[in-house]
Amino acid sequence: MNSIAVTGLGLVTSHGDTPDAVFAAMMRGESAVQPVFPELPKPAAAATVAFDQSRWFTKLQLAGVDRVSQLAVAAADLAMKDAGAAGDIDPERIGVYAGCGMGGAAALEAAYRSGGRVPPLTIPAFMPNAPAAHVAMRQKALGPVLTYSVACASSAVAIAEAAKAVQSGEVDVAIAGGTEALIVPGVVLAWQAMQTLASFNPGEAASSVRPFSLDRTGFALGEGAAFVILESAERARRRNARVYACLAGWGISCDATHLTKPDVPGQARALRAALRRADLKPRDVGYCNAHGTATRIGDVIERDALAEVWGNDLDHLSVSSTKALHGHLLGAAGALEAAITVLALQHRQLPPNANCTEIDPACRMNLVTRTGVAAPQLEVALSNSFAFGGTNAVLLFKRA
Amino acid sequence: MSSLKELQDLIHEKYGIDMSELDPSASMREKGLDSLALVEFLFAVEDHFHINLPDVDSNVDTLAELAVVVDRVRAAKAAA
Repeated sequence: MNSIAVTGLGLVTSHGDTPDAVFAAMMRGESAVQPVFPELPKPAAAATVAFDQSRWFTKLQLAGVDRVSQLAVAAADLAMKDAGAAGDIDPERIGVYAGCGMGGAAALEAAYRSGGRVPPLTIPAFMPNAPAAHVAMRQKALGPVLTYSVACASSAVAIAEAAKAVQSGEVDVAIAGGTEALIVPGVVLAWQAMQTLASFNPGEAASSVRPFSLDRTGFALGEGAAFVILESAERARRRNARVYACLAGWGISCDATHLTKPDVPGQARALRAALRRADLKPRDVGYCNAHGTATRIGDVIERDALAEVWGNDLDHLSVSSTKALHGHLLGAAGALEAAITVLALQHRQLPPNANCTEIDPACRMNLVTRTGVAAPQLEVALSNSFAFGGTNAVLLFKRA
Repeated sequence: MSSLKELQDLIHEKYGIDMSELDPSASMREKGLDSLALVEFLFAVEDHFHINLPDVDSNVDTLAELAVVVDRVRAAKAAA
């Protein structure tokens, strides 16, 4: 099997836009979750990005480009520059594989609030495939330019699909990842109505997301974009590219049981499929960046799925959910967490499972409870993304 | 009364197009404002002058032509 190399990372996140800064903040257990929209009846918190549009766009270029696409263009550009991959690629051999859950939420909300004078560029700003199209225009990618909208698994699925395209030789270089920017009042209200967001006391927003903790109450929304550059290990070697890690396996399954209720067998199928594709055993894996949304039901199901597949080896698997720190990026979550997983492998350090004051006995496993944990033996790590709709995606990375 | 200067200021403010490039007789479409972006610009024009523009003739392609339309609407409003 052709090995797939990760040769570039591009992050535009609440913790900054360089991989090292983001990973260092993760290792310190720094939360970017903070209160938003004080005018809403119920307190809301989210992790937002301090984004300087002018670094990437002229004012004229911004006409009709929603924030979700702006973040994507920036992150994909950072990834391409990081990989040093541009220049010698046939543009027809570059593909863009972008995950996005919601599309241009701000454009839609602005249209509703426009008092009837709806901006004529609302539709092209809102459409969920706009980010991928803008990335393609910016990078002159003439190959497949595709969008995957699979809720919280969108960008993990996008990365897996990109890996398949690289592996089959359909493209030489894949720009794969995801973007999400839906921190607008209407969308926050909708998520609150779903009873999935963490509640918190005044002044405690930063610690409101507590994955696997007995007192967890849900997640906080996050925005951002993350892209990786995938190419064959052979191509990476030929051009002397730095390889962060190899994407050794991926598994995609569907629960096919319920739209929003997670399912142990479905998640276990995706985990097993990823291990099988990588030809690895559970014991080979040292770290899992969990989906870990800190919902009452979700965390227990994920723990049980890991326990089912890992069996007696569960204690060898260190687990943390970094959503406590960067929030839930939905369509971009899989890509950001894949990048964090890759950086954990590269640095051989494990980001903490922050804010977990007392582990829920039903979530008993080897959580990374402290900050600054080194893992000198770490060789393989995985990232879980489990979506509304029942689609489960697991990405398995191996040290280069 | 000519609205041209204010329109130039507005387009500069909104799109960052340099004053020296704002030739009143040049095609706005060729400056990168396609027909949809132009409609969004017209919203800004309406807000700025507190006027309601008629559905602008699609032949309006230069800033000078737009200024004529805006002048007319403003004059009509002042007379009303």
